[in-house]
Amino acid sequence: MKPKSSRLLLASLVVAVALGAVGAGSASASPVWKFNGTELSGKETVVGAATSSKMTLLGITVECQHFLYNAKIFNKSGKGEGEVTELPLYECSSNAASCPLEKEVEAKNLPWPGKLTTIGEKEYLLIGEAKGKEVDVNVTFGGSSCAVAGVHAVKGTVGGVINNSSQTATFDAETIKNTGTGLKVGSSTVEWEGVFTMEAFESHRLSAIEA
Amino acid sequence: MLRRLKAHRSVGVATAVVGVLVALVTPTGATAHSGDFAKFNYCPSTNAEVFKCLYSVTSSGEIVLGKKKTPITNAVTLQGGVSKQEGTEAEGFPSRFFGATSGGETLSKAAQTVPGGLLGIVPPEKSPPLVRLLLKYFESGLLEVKATLELAKPASEIKVSEFNLSLEEGVALKLPVKVHLENAFLGSSCYVGSSSSPLVWNLTSGTTSPPKPNEPIKGSGGELNFKDGFEIAEITGNSLVDNVWSAPAAAGCGGILSFLVDPVINSMIGLPATSGNNTAILNNTIDLAQATDVNAH
Repeated sequence: MKPKSSRLLLASLVVAVALGAVGAGSASASPVWKFNGTELSGKETVVGAATSSKMTLLGITVECQHFLYNAKIFNKSGKGEGEVTELPLYECSSNAASCPLEKEVEAKNLPWPGKLTTIGEKEYLLIGEAKGKEVDVNVTFGGSSCAVAGVHAVKGTVGGVINNSSQTATFDAETIKNTGTGLKVGSSTVEWEGVFTMEAFESHRLSAIEA
Repeated sequence: MLRRLKAHRSVGVATAVVGVLVALVTPTGATAHSGDFAKFNYCPSTNAEVFKCLYSVTSSGEIVLGKKKTPITNAVTLQGGVSKQEGTEAEGFPSRFFGATSGGETLSKAAQTVPGGLLGIVPPEKSPPLVRLLLKYFESGLLEVKATLELAKPASEIKVSEFNLSLEEGVALKLPVKVHLENAFLGSSCYVGSSSSPLVWNLTSGTTSPPKPNEPIKGSGGELNFKDGFEIAEITGNSLVDNVWSAPAAAGCGGILSFLVDPVINSMIGLPATSGNNTAILNNTIDLAQATDVNAH
């Protein structure tokens, strides 16, 4: 009963990936954002897109052809943090012919806070916090033979692993499980998977994001 | 010619038999939908404003009215249609409700047994001797008290939010009701709540925030499954709760002696009961389908 969440989840995942690509450093208790091996000072804008991403809610899988994000990253008290400020999603579609999307998936209540954390030997990007600062996406199904037609809210938190060599962040069932995060429509679990590129857009443009 | 006449007669008889069978199987005036859609027979699905048909069965739960707790042991059905989502997200995109049509009951009148009845009523010292005498006389009858939920307002006063239902936040179902208390002593006009002063249940699948002495209780959006492709959504394990509502005093109890009996009943149940002293828990299975799909079956 909660289709919008899927898109939101996907967006969150992308953002998380982007954040991770930008700054996760080598495994440490408090990973920070780095560019060309140097710790980021001040703020940097990171943008990116999903190379692949899909979200499944209420038994319906939603995919978007264009899943972009815009995030601000910074280090605070020796910890990498950030926030997703924009998450435009275009040309999204549902795999259920009788439940097409009535409107584009919509990210709500931005910005969503994010932070880096180390789990095991990997750096993860966590997006969303407590209620009011969580990932929040509305998915609207339409169609004349869709019993769940209407707006559904996907909410929660999402964690993805950062891959410094490819400068991507990957969100899937495993990273969500490892980070103890999760997206839901009410109590119904939303599945989300996606791989997101990360690229600095301001003073560190063209700089390598390193772990 | 004779053979053709016989054939016509046979067809005529068969048609008549089928017609009688259909009439027996289908409730009077209801539209006979087929298969899984039969439960929507009383949905006003041909009303252009009705977007979806709703059929909800409350199979368990409880109603705490002041000092009296009544479990729901006889299923209660809420059925009708809902409009497309309206309003804002902050309001939960509520839908307008349209009551059951073709003679169907929007809210079925299923009598629930009040455990212990009203036995144990100790009439206040100041109660008139007549009331004391009546209570003594009907003591055995007071064991058997039935409580029946009834709509206190037109069905159009019901509000449904599918958005909040699945989100498990905010009001999923606003239901204005009254409780009909019945037995030989109470008569047939003993109600808690009325059209002018209903019990307004703002039921949520999330968590309530009641004043004391009640504590927060949690509902559940339930689990969604589809039938007939994506045409019917069945939500099982749904639980809608509200323990914030208030209840007025009972009225009309004891027939012409209500002016004497009402105070006794109110004293016994603890009415009027302010917010924080009452609870409604409805455990439901909810079926939803678009009106166009219902009409096509």
